[in-house]
Amino acid sequence: MDEKGPAVDPTRIGQIVERYCDQRWPLIPLLQEIQNEFGYIPPEAIEPVANALSMFPSQVQGVITFYEQLYTKPRGKKVVRVCRGTACHVRGGKTILKLAKQHLGVEEGQTTPDLEYTLDTVACIGVCAMAPNMVIGKQTHGHLNPKKVSQLLGRTGDARG
Amino acid sequence: METITITLNGREVSGHPGMTVLELASESGVRIPTLCNDPHLAPFGACRICLVEDERSGALMASCVTPIAPGMVVNTESPRVLERRRAIVKLMLASHPDSCLVCDKGNRCELRRIAADASVGLVDLQRISQPALIKEVNPFLERDLSKCILCAKCIRADHELVVEGVIDYIERGFASKPATLNDTSLEESDCTFCGTCVAFCPTGALMEKDSPYRGTTTTAVATVCPSCGCGCGISLEVKDNKIVRCRPDMDSPVNGGTLCVRGSYGYDFVHSEDRLTQPLIKANGSLRETSWEEALDFAAAGLKRVAEAHGPGSLAVVGSPKCTNEENYLLQRLARCALGTNNIDNGSRLYSAASCQGLGWNLGSPGTTNTLENLEQSDVILVVGTDPASSAPLVGYAIKRAVRQRGARLIMADPRRTKLSTFAFLCLRPRVGTDVALLNGLARSIVEENLLDEEFVTRRTDNFEAFRRGLDQYIPAWVEQATGVPERELSSAARMFATAKRASIVFGRGLTQQSTGTDAVMALANLAMLTGNIGHGSGGVYALQDDCNGQGACDMGVVPAFLPGYQSVDDPQAVKRFAARWGPFSPSGPGLTAVEMIQQANAGKIKAMYIVGENPAATFPHLGLVRESLRSLDFLVVQDLFLTETARLATVVLPAASFAEKEGTFTSFEGRVQALRKAIDPLGSSLPDWQIVLHLAKRLGHPMPYTSLEAIMDEIEELVPFYHGAGYAGAAGKGFDRSELEASPHGAKRLHKGQFPTGFGRFSSVHYVPAKGTAGDGYPFSLITGTSLYRFGGGSRSSRATRLIRFLPEAAIEIGRGDASRLGIASGDRVRIISPTAEISAPVRITDTLSDAMLYMPSAFPQSPVNALFGVDLDPQSKTPAMEACRVRLERID
Repeated sequence: MDEKGPAVDPTRIGQIVERYCDQRWPLIPLLQEIQNEFGYIPPEAIEPVANALSMFPSQVQGVITFYEQLYTKPRGKKVVRVCRGTACHVRGGKTILKLAKQHLGVEEGQTTPDLEYTLDTVACIGVCAMAPNMVIGKQTHGHLNPKKVSQLLGRTGDARG
Repeated sequence: METITITLNGREVSGHPGMTVLELASESGVRIPTLCNDPHLAPFGACRICLVEDERSGALMASCVTPIAPGMVVNTESPRVLERRRAIVKLMLASHPDSCLVCDKGNRCELRRIAADASVGLVDLQRISQPALIKEVNPFLERDLSKCILCAKCIRADHELVVEGVIDYIERGFASKPATLNDTSLEESDCTFCGTCVAFCPTGALMEKDSPYRGTTTTAVATVCPSCGCGCGISLEVKDNKIVRCRPDMDSPVNGGTLCVRGSYGYDFVHSEDRLTQPLIKANGSLRETSWEEALDFAAAGLKRVAEAHGPGSLAVVGSPKCTNEENYLLQRLARCALGTNNIDNGSRLYSAASCQGLGWNLGSPGTTNTLENLEQSDVILVVGTDPASSAPLVGYAIKRAVRQRGARLIMADPRRTKLSTFAFLCLRPRVGTDVALLNGLARSIVEENLLDEEFVTRRTDNFEAFRRGLDQYIPAWVEQATGVPERELSSAARMFATAKRASIVFGRGLTQQSTGTDAVMALANLAMLTGNIGHGSGGVYALQDDCNGQGACDMGVVPAFLPGYQSVDDPQAVKRFAARWGPFSPSGPGLTAVEMIQQANAGKIKAMYIVGENPAATFPHLGLVRESLRSLDFLVVQDLFLTETARLATVVLPAASFAEKEGTFTSFEGRVQALRKAIDPLGSSLPDWQIVLHLAKRLGHPMPYTSLEAIMDEIEELVPFYHGAGYAGAAGKGFDRSELEASPHGAKRLHKGQFPTGFGRFSSVHYVPAKGTAGDGYPFSLITGTSLYRFGGGSRSSRATRLIRFLPEAAIEIGRGDASRLGIASGDRVRIISPTAEISAPVRITDTLSDAMLYMPSAFPQSPVNALFGVDLDPQSKTPAMEACRVRLERID
């Protein structure tokens, strides 16, 4: 949790938490809603959530860190998912990932400091015929090559990498 | 009752529904190995070591989480079971370092024992890398999670037993491990270092830090913890006459595997270099070592001389809530028979006399009415004037369990916000010293809304009408003005308390140490009677004790107005009964209380004192006056473990043995009489207090005919009705039969099943009087005191417990954020704290737990004795000095 997230409005956390107080098994839906609001679960949210649900903060943290889809750090506006499936692998997926890292200047699972991009990998996105693939936001891009990756992720005046 | 029969390893065995296979097996003498199961914790099924085979289906099941079912055919040692168990152990070892040779857990490691039993040696599986030792600076415990097997015992002990919630699993898969919030070190978390997780850890992952001995001891002695009135069972591990480890006594019916930081790590005061090992006599103004013969002769001669010159009324004796029942019993007999005075009192006068007096008057029984188990079953718990999480941690655990696990509602009434407040449903924050107004306000709301338990009030109590009339003035608006508690909160608390099936009241020093302490306790008792919460199946009233035998010392008659068992010294029948055993004794009428003794010494009326295990020169209010008074005595005998501030003023100092070096019994706050067992021999030539008292009695011309502790307890049982059956079972010399001795806390016998001991509970009208010591110009702050989790008693023992001092060397004065910024004080600044009586200095800690114009400082730190600031304002009824609050001002030291 070393990356400093953007300022979080505590009253907004309070409003969301309040709506879930009396529900049964509310923890995960509540965490999801907080994530929808902020894009991730800010550490400041753990204590109000724990207090509202009569849980310990350590327990809430345990649930957040258990689920892959709950994030403790801010995510980029666009999530780049590079496919690491078998078909993509034999068609050069490894190189595509390397290039994506170079262009964005971050490692897998990391977010660019300007909070534009988060780089992730996925096991397979199911369009092996178009390998190698990656998904940016909701858009899938197939038949990738270095030029295409550069067009997609290359950023003006980019000196990173 | 319905039973279920299953076949276990070819033999038919029966158990009751809901039992697990593991439970039935262990009851039937079949041993199934397990790592994650413990009788104190809910079954969890993490380690899978305990698997067994159902021979009919061939299924392998974890026996700790499999309930028995009719017709089951279970094999605990089939070839498949053994093979799988071996595979599981191998997988565990693949992620466990091979460092057994240097691991402090040594042959106490359960993983190693199970691996050996399963014949698993070095593992040829690929090693899984593990997290490194976590660097921690706390002096109590360390974590090496490379040895963690993820059995979750530490997490479960935390959540289920002590309910701190400091650790839980973080991450998942290979990365998962027990961690604090944000994976910080323990000292950055809310950890209270109770050591319970260490006691439960089956491997070397959680270990006591800086243990004086790393190996496994051959002797472990089960005895009673001396660090508060809860009476937890501890197990002292001994090597070469030295206590090297203290763990919870897992078989104790009191603490269920838990302890607190004081219990787990505070024991080493016993081996402090400061321990007195030889008697001392003052000659030419300085103390010199001498023999027991000479010291005892000198002490006896000195006391006799003063008695002859000034009469027995010029003598006074102070007993100790740290000494055993037997010792206190002997001491009061010595005072009454050998010295001929009723001037005898004990240190618990400072904090709990009001509770004995208040409860005794209303309920007819001095002390807590129900057991801790009852408390945990309550639906509503009202906590007044105490922070059990610090002063009586075991009670804190019980309250938190009631809230988290049973959904009980907690109402806190405390001027200060404490750690327990986060568990509270309602936090009332009355102004300091206004508890009587608050409690009467609650009572009036209950009466007004007709929520009282009419049947109970009519059939089992009297004086209700007068009491009801006395409540007239306590209308909510008036109470709000007096206490600062909003009307709405008051009536919601009243409704919650009155409508609960079982409502309990827990109170402590914050209430009893006020100048109106007795009234406040009576107001509490009224509230409990009004709602029918006295007696079997109800909540009850719980008077917390700060010292290990505060209850026992009072029960044993180490009080000026009562013979043992609260039999009045003015009752000729009682005196006759005791004289039949002791021989005639002369004093009549109540003697002086502890603080009065000091005042009378100052006035020149008390000429000699015999002080046992008590340190008035550091723990009483108005220390200047106390020290001056003690100095002015003609003769002072002090009997203690250390050369305390009081002992330095003595003419004769007698070295006493600590709790670990003697036998006897302590009475816990719930009235449980428990046996101490001797773990080590007395250090140097120190002697157990009871032997010293016997020697001294002989020299004072009143030899007492007891040959053993059993003989003393037999006599106590005979003369103190509610100690019947508390005594030593079995023949002399055979030791104690624990099951007999501890089966029934005598509190349970005082449950008022049918009626109150005196026939009826008596309502008493008590009225709010603005407390003395809470008004005055030039002193804008109201200072309150309390107990620190890292100190106990008066501080003479805990300030010599090395780890407690390392963790918290000094008491800080706490101040609210607003006040601090107004005064321009930052955290860590040193300030002078000045009261009309005295001044002390301390560093400042800024906190959010205090309202404006309030300060808080823990007591029992001899370097900054906060009680020095208090005057000697006595509660007119119990003569408890008002030490809960006083007016002060602050000056920054630049």
